[in-house]
Amino acid sequence: MDSFLTSRIVTDILSGLTNGVVYGLVALSLVLVWRSTRILNFAQGAMPMFATYLGMGLLSYHFGYWACVVISIAAGFAIGGVTERVLVRGLYGKPEINPIVVMVGFLIVLEAVAAAIWSTLPRGLPSPFSPIDWQIGGKPFAMSDFSVYEIVTALVVMTAVALLFRFTKLGLQLRAAALAPEVSRLLGVRVGRMLTLGWMLSTAVGTITTVLVASNFFTGLTPQVMDGIFAFGFIAAAVGGLDSPVGAIISGVVMGIILQFVGDFLNSNAIILVALAILIVSLMVRPNGIFTKSTARRV
Amino acid sequence: MTISSNRRHVFVTAVFLGLAVVASFLLTSNGHSALVLGLMTALFVIGVSVLRIPGLHTNHPVVARGALTVAALVATLIATYFLSATTNFNLATGAAMSIVLLGLSFLTGASGQISLGNSAFMGVGAFAMAIWANHHTTTPIVVSLLIAVIAGALVGLLLGLPATRLRGPYLAGMTLAFAVAFGAILASFNSWTGGDAGLQLPTAVTPPHWLTSLYQSGTSLLTTNTMWLADISIVATGVAFFFMGNLFASRTGRAMRLIRDNDVAAELVGVSLPRTRVIAFVISSAYAALGGALWTLINNSVSPSTYSFALSITILSLVVIGGIGTIPGALIGGLIYAYSSAVISWIVTQTGLKPQGNFASQMNGIIFGVLLIVVMLFAPMGISGAVLRAWRKRRSHLRG
Amino acid sequence: MISVDGLSVSYGAVQALRDVTFSAPTGQITAVLGSNGAGKTTLLRTISGLQSPTKGSIHLDDHELLGQKPENIARLGVGHVPEGRGVIGEFTVEENLRLGALMAQVNLREGLEEQYTQFPVLSERRRQAAAKLSGGERQMLAMARALIAKPSALLLDEPSLGLAPLVTSQLMHTIQHLCRTNHLTVVLVEQNASSALRIADRAVVLHLGKVVANDLAPVVAEDENLRQYYLGMVE
Repeated sequence: MDSFLTSRIVTDILSGLTNGVVYGLVALSLVLVWRSTRILNFAQGAMPMFATYLGMGLLSYHFGYWACVVISIAAGFAIGGVTERVLVRGLYGKPEINPIVVMVGFLIVLEAVAAAIWSTLPRGLPSPFSPIDWQIGGKPFAMSDFSVYEIVTALVVMTAVALLFRFTKLGLQLRAAALAPEVSRLLGVRVGRMLTLGWMLSTAVGTITTVLVASNFFTGLTPQVMDGIFAFGFIAAAVGGLDSPVGAIISGVVMGIILQFVGDFLNSNAIILVALAILIVSLMVRPNGIFTKSTARRV
Repeated sequence: MTISSNRRHVFVTAVFLGLAVVASFLLTSNGHSALVLGLMTALFVIGVSVLRIPGLHTNHPVVARGALTVAALVATLIATYFLSATTNFNLATGAAMSIVLLGLSFLTGASGQISLGNSAFMGVGAFAMAIWANHHTTTPIVVSLLIAVIAGALVGLLLGLPATRLRGPYLAGMTLAFAVAFGAILASFNSWTGGDAGLQLPTAVTPPHWLTSLYQSGTSLLTTNTMWLADISIVATGVAFFFMGNLFASRTGRAMRLIRDNDVAAELVGVSLPRTRVIAFVISSAYAALGGALWTLINNSVSPSTYSFALSITILSLVVIGGIGTIPGALIGGLIYAYSSAVISWIVTQTGLKPQGNFASQMNGIIFGVLLIVVMLFAPMGISGAVLRAWRKRRSHLRG
Repeated sequence: MISVDGLSVSYGAVQALRDVTFSAPTGQITAVLGSNGAGKTTLLRTISGLQSPTKGSIHLDDHELLGQKPENIARLGVGHVPEGRGVIGEFTVEENLRLGALMAQVNLREGLEEQYTQFPVLSERRRQAAAKLSGGERQMLAMARALIAKPSALLLDEPSLGLAPLVTSQLMHTIQHLCRTNHLTVVLVEQNASSALRIADRAVVLHLGKVVANDLAPVVAEDENLRQYYLGMVE
């Protein structure tokens, strides 16, 4: 049993899983924003990054790690809300290219301002979980306290979001506002508030993800910390289908595992190439994502 | 046009032509340059004269566009003789960029497809040029540029075929992935692409004898070389814009605009959606490849780090700021690119801020990003759109 | 009661409603009739706040509805079943009803029970996706969803659209019954003038955005001119 657990295959699966839940969370945030406001948020990595800097900046004032995490998440909510009100409001109903360009501009500004205030040097975060891989029978096992922390947090967040949407009044309103805004208004749903809340939730989820990534001893917090992960998360969301939260999570996790194998058995170059190939193939077969239920377009 | 005004038109043209030729001979020292200058000014005069023919724009729009292109080209070419090496270098770089911008502007404005992959298509052209030159040193420039364009078109076809069925965000995603993966694609063909260091052109591009003879002996190689490079770029730009202008007005162009506005209606009218979309995609990637190939010529080398995803974002931003779907917009964008640091410093001084330390080094990004947001929110038609609107307002004011 | 006073609405250069004035009394059904393009849907959308008028005022009892957001007007007790019913296909029947009950201070379980008793077919299909319902069932769902919030006024836009004659007459019966038992103010927009006039107490006829008749329903029903020119009732 021991040699099985420390075998290459299991190692790859576990490492891939750890990466995959992060991609899944990013994909989930993108889907949340897309479903509620039909906008592709290119700043989906940068906004939470900024929130994390704001929260973690308090570390130098002797706040504890967990306090800073909570403050970061609160900052994430705030940034998401303000962004929707100020930037995004004016973009509903405009051609698709408009929000993409605005969010790209926002991404550039956020990364530049973060670099200006906090510099581009990576900052280590005092994560309370050890990144050292466990040992089984003297051989390294691809799990550490930290990776368990990542996976458990990710699962908790995904479950919480799912429960929110399926079983609460608020979730019902959020879904209604996204599916049928005019009808929802007639039923008393404050659609404007629901849109803002959608952005706040998505940025908060993104902030939790960024905290996880940045707390990794080997990564640290930099303005560019989420760039690569955003790309993979975006690919996962496109493969799974921008309308499907479940699809986002599944494709994120599966992609994480597949890419880990590719990186291990081929080389690091091949990772992005395989990701690109997966994307092209899946979009050729299902142009709207694998998990999207097809809906006929009204003429 | 009456017979007498016809005659007058021809007479005036002949006079100017004569003046131009005489002036060329008087101004230059040797026979070669006189010939060249004479020819250029003659072309310019003819071009302008043709444009003045009434009714040309409506009856023979292609000829009108051709005359305009020739006149503008010639004027610019003559100007390069007088400009400094730095200016010519910037002009060459900016002109190449405006070709790329025109391609993307066309794709987005005319057919409504969003592509984030143009940095990769530029890279395809750039590397195709370098690889070919390294293996076949005697190919004339025009031919190797054409090869780069074809390479870009082929890759565009490869990507464009699966892209036809994709809606906005999915197309953006696919092109984004391509741009991000381009570096890895290059690295996979290390032996061909020269790895991190990239490739050099085997021989520097030098101007032909009749051009160098225009200068006084002893003029630096840099001056003559950059003038020649600028000229190549500018001619390529002229050709590219002329072709695009015609395409935009043609039936294919109209079909593309129809698809952009309402693809269901377009299908009902009989427009083949996938085919038109692919054509637009291939054209935009061919244009990007041309721009990249020109950059390789201008810099005499190509390096993979130039063609990163960040470049795609720059390209998209310039298209937006210049004005989506407009020809002047692409030119404006090219200019801004060539002089971006000057533009940004100007904006910074306008705001009266004096950034210190870290802020100073990040100012580029901050200004750029804010500019993007502001333009998109308040002037989505870009600079050329804003100018057009102001122009129309003035005209309606004057009409009363 | 809903009272509309001098209401004018334009879409750009097109004037959809001109100086419309009428009252829909409480506890009665007021039919709004007229051919396509007469402005009937625009009228309902303006009352419920989805459309802003250029002139005029709208009152629900003493409340001024003008300038208020649709979600607030809904919370004041105006239920609007829009053209096409607006049933959310991706939700189940029960989720649609839960959505309707959200803003109202009603006990959800009681409210659901009441609607299920009123519309038994919904009870059978409560866990099904609303997209799977037939046209008539969707109409039931849309009305139940509006009623669960215990509105004081009900705006119905062409409820009989796409329904077979038998279903339509059952539907009209139901509307009449609901109006009487709940003492609702009902504004009923209909293309199908004859079925609407059978249950209505008052009738307003619109033509090209103007009111051409505003009277008791039987009076309107008897008028030869109205029947021929505006109501398309040729007999």
